[in-house]
Amino acid sequence: MKDRKAMNAVLLITALIILLPVIVILIWTVTARWPWPGLLPENYTLRTVKEMLFGSNSLIEILISSVVLATLVAIIGTVIGLMTARATEIYRIRGRHVVGTAALLPLIVPGTVFAMGIQVLLIRMHINDTIAGVVLVHLVVALPYCVTIMMDVTAAAGDSLEEQASVLGAGPLRSFIDASLPQIMPGILSSASMAYIISYSQYFTTLLAGGGKIKTLALVLVPYIQSGDRALASIYSTVFVGSALIVFFLLEAAIHRLMKTES
Amino acid sequence: MRKRDRIVSALLITPFMLVTALVLAAILNIMVQSLGYMPVFDLYDITLKYYIETLRRPEVVQSLAVSLKVSALSSAAAAAAGTLICAALVRTRKTRGAMLYTVRLPILVPHTVVALFTVAMLSQTGLFARLAYAGGMISDYTEFPAILYGTGYFGVIIAYVWKEAPFIAYFSLALMSGVSETLGEAAENLGATPFKSFMHITLPLSLPAIAKGFLIVLIFSFGGYELPMLLGATLPKAFPVYTYIEFLKPDFRLRPYSMAMNGITLILSLMMALIYAVCMKRLMKKLGGGYEG
Repeated sequence: MKDRKAMNAVLLITALIILLPVIVILIWTVTARWPWPGLLPENYTLRTVKEMLFGSNSLIEILISSVVLATLVAIIGTVIGLMTARATEIYRIRGRHVVGTAALLPLIVPGTVFAMGIQVLLIRMHINDTIAGVVLVHLVVALPYCVTIMMDVTAAAGDSLEEQASVLGAGPLRSFIDASLPQIMPGILSSASMAYIISYSQYFTTLLAGGGKIKTLALVLVPYIQSGDRALASIYSTVFVGSALIVFFLLEAAIHRLMKTES
Repeated sequence: MRKRDRIVSALLITPFMLVTALVLAAILNIMVQSLGYMPVFDLYDITLKYYIETLRRPEVVQSLAVSLKVSALSSAAAAAAGTLICAALVRTRKTRGAMLYTVRLPILVPHTVVALFTVAMLSQTGLFARLAYAGGMISDYTEFPAILYGTGYFGVIIAYVWKEAPFIAYFSLALMSGVSETLGEAAENLGATPFKSFMHITLPLSLPAIAKGFLIVLIFSFGGYELPMLLGATLPKAFPVYTYIEFLKPDFRLRPYSMAMNGITLILSLMMALIYAVCMKRLMKKLGGGYEG
């Protein structure tokens, strides 16, 4: 029992280290003055909220472009992940082990290296500084996770149900949608959630592929951190992380509901 | 395979091939340009001189050393802390619910925001400095150690550990809880203490997942840009930060230098992955190949 107590202490300290900065940043969002050495701010203000909503950066526009970008990456990444998994796990194409290894390649090539290496090609394809270019680059970063997740769930689900459906006369698409799709739905959602978060968080790749013209929350946040305006940096961070968490928890709740009805 | 199946599977794998081709194209482009082949600017000679000249510059070597240090130290610490957190989750059976969501939180926080967190906590006027003052440990904020922006890169290392230790814990959780519930508990039923059963059964069998997580964060922190850019020293710069500055120089004839720096990062990352693969093969042999990470 002593070891369980120690492990509970480990978790308590972990939770404290994780949550303390979150709390401090939440306080900073409404801070007017927080002089040394106070443990709490001297005055509070809603200046930050006003500035964020009506300041030089239009928050709504940036939020929309970040969400659209991440949603596109989540959908395309998951569809490609699913297609790849069907090819390797159901159709068992030749060289499927190579596919599994090749899928991990973007994890071995750092995002900075990839972004600088691909920029010339984006220019040649005339998609530099466009949403399409940014989506393409984010897709590369997110795909290892999408492909691995989709391969795992597709392999676990197998194709026996689907075969039964087609024996009973359903077409290939029908039998996939009716027999396999419900089984792999939790995987689809977690792949989408992972890809969404990855795209939403990208800074360097967005900067390079978007040329500063495609503005996301990650991009507008950095100058505030650099300029030392901690209150504004904090409120942008709160919106940034908060909006990501909302999407994450919606998908997470959907996964849980599916798992429950499944069992 | 029937003909129709062959066509369908070819169509299914095509988008993946295109994306992979994109990655290979980026690698090829880096290799070609770093070897000095840029026909647009009348550079035709294939040469290693850009690599050699780059590696002869002391500031490049220092920058490379800083990045390797940050990456090795932060990943080792993240792996150790992550393993401990994972073990604690498994032992206390908190493998779901509020505690797990708390542990998953740093995985969802972007690196740019992690940098802000670190500033708010560890700068000389940050929360820890204020707590130290309130506790009478320092009498002025200048006495608080300069953790951020220093040549030691300690702020960057701490920031990476904050983000990556929970990643490794979550990444290893499925495997470790599986092993612990089966073989770990069997060992305990046969009389092993929880500590012994963890050290001799659960930990070794969970190593594949921990090692894979370690490799991912090792390569990521080696090539990462945001944290060293926001929390690092002016000199030496982290290698990716330095590479990007060289990359931004408007004279395209200098491009082979920044591409050689990218090539160096690429080669070192591949070497890390290779060493990992060799170690894993040995480990798997030792474990009898029963579990896969």
